[in-house]
Amino acid sequence: MTKDAKRRLRSVGRYAALGVWLVIVAFPLLWAVTTSFKPPYQWFTWPPTWIPNPFTLNNYRVVWLGELLDTQYVQSASIQTPFFALVNSIIIAGTSTLLSVIFGVLVAYGVSRYGMLSERTLFRLLILRMVPPIVVVVPVVIYYSTLGLSDTYLGLITIYVVTTLPYSVWMTKSFIDEVPVEMEQSAELLGASRLRTIWEVVFPLIRSGVVATFMFILILTWSEYLMALVLSATNISTLPVQLNKYEGSTEGRLYGWQQALAMGVTVPLIVIGYAIHKHLVRGFSFGMLKR
Amino acid sequence: MARRKGRRYKWTILPVVSVPILFLVVPIIFFQVYFSLHQWTAYLGEWWQADFVGLDNFRDVLGESRFYLSFLRTLIFAGSSTILCLVIGFTLAYLMRNPFPGRSLFYLAFITPMLIVPVAIGYVFEMLLVQKGPLNQLLSWLTGQEIQVAWFAEAVPAFVSIIFIEVWNWTPFVFILMLAGLASMPKEPIEAARVLGASPLQIFFHVQVPLLRPVIFLALILRFLEALGEYPKVWSLTRGGPGSYTETMPVYLFITSWEHFNISKGAAMSYLVLLVVAVIVYLCIRLLLREKRTLEMLYGR
Repeated sequence: MTKDAKRRLRSVGRYAALGVWLVIVAFPLLWAVTTSFKPPYQWFTWPPTWIPNPFTLNNYRVVWLGELLDTQYVQSASIQTPFFALVNSIIIAGTSTLLSVIFGVLVAYGVSRYGMLSERTLFRLLILRMVPPIVVVVPVVIYYSTLGLSDTYLGLITIYVVTTLPYSVWMTKSFIDEVPVEMEQSAELLGASRLRTIWEVVFPLIRSGVVATFMFILILTWSEYLMALVLSATNISTLPVQLNKYEGSTEGRLYGWQQALAMGVTVPLIVIGYAIHKHLVRGFSFGMLKR
Repeated sequence: MARRKGRRYKWTILPVVSVPILFLVVPIIFFQVYFSLHQWTAYLGEWWQADFVGLDNFRDVLGESRFYLSFLRTLIFAGSSTILCLVIGFTLAYLMRNPFPGRSLFYLAFITPMLIVPVAIGYVFEMLLVQKGPLNQLLSWLTGQEIQVAWFAEAVPAFVSIIFIEVWNWTPFVFILMLAGLASMPKEPIEAARVLGASPLQIFFHVQVPLLRPVIFLALILRFLEALGEYPKVWSLTRGGPGSYTETMPVYLFITSWEHFNISKGAAMSYLVLLVVAVIVYLCIRLLLREKRTLEMLYGR
């Protein structure tokens, strides 16, 4: 075999292997998307309907606009508009992410520049994040309801800030570490105050990193499920919790409606994730790996 | 990075670290201890009036096989899904380490599962796996014979499906870590090995894999720890069923505390789990700390 043919063969093999995984990744996603456009009588048919026919937007109208459609197929489901949950999700995820990033930047700057905590200690604090949340759920819920924080924004926000803090500290720290300390020193030599140095020299340099951190933490808080489930009753139900509400008493799960809601929950995250795809490594590896 | 002087600022960090510890960690530990030593269920009056029962709750938990089984299931679940994630993620990253047409499209497609809300993944796979669903149809079509696996009604298929979903969801995590590792791997050792006449296979096993070792460790450890606590997907897909064949530790804990409202037993159980997990986490963090220095030398800058 010539070298050229060998190379072509290898290239074909690579596309084939990647293609297999591409199909495995894409199949559930495509199924979810098509289901959200299927009319109710095609949700559970055998053989399954692969392409919605007719292609309908009714699921979205029912779920997001609260219109009473397809009532001849779906009789017994409680219909609720998720806008309430959407607003809750935006408030909770947005606020907690913002606070987490602000605290994260402060701690990271202190650790990076002043050695306020040794890196070893900071690393040990990761242990707090790595314990599965489920083992602290019981005490958290009872503690919070004793304080009157259960089913309030403040309750979920504090939990999210604390659980995401390690991510935001480590991620922003890795950005701050990249700023040469000489720049700050020369700014100070020229007479800038410490705060002004931070605001006008350091911050512009790490701004894109901070934005990436914000978006990364937003992915985590937006999709959190367990704490949102146990710490919310009626006031602050978030979108991931709303997902299991679409169950008819006779029809089983209402796939189309559920997927129409799931699209609204998931698509923003995918967009955010693609936007910061270069920084995902840094976030997930606590800043230990960069690209 | 260079350190700067400023010892007097050292304590400004104190609130950020101590507030969560004082207002969250300490009460949580207190409540954990309190409820594990008292008998209380959600409908038995106020919690501070609960009866002191000593170690009865612990005896209760340790006396039943369901607890051990759920723990064992968690270990198998986390272990096997971690290894599969590593194998698949590494293979994909290795195939994609050099530029080729379509690379960025593959990259974006491959990271997508990681970005999806875990509960939603559980529900999507429920649609795919129902007995009269698309997956069975696809399998029948591929094999040419009638296949009707009842994915949720039999023990092994149900367990395989929760492992597969975990792998589907988190292979991207390993993939991006490995890709970053391979991309920033120092080129000189590989060149040197090639000049010295090493075969591609030798280069792979004796140069590339050892250089990647810290990245592999990092991926393995983080993935394993996350998988230990995996809850939303299993819950939304099987709720621990059929019977309790997919009942991992988090699911069992949730059922005890929030379905049976047996808060005391749940607290005792989470205490035991916490102890075991704390040991595992501690060992992992130590391991990671050791690898971290190599990691930073090779890949951090």
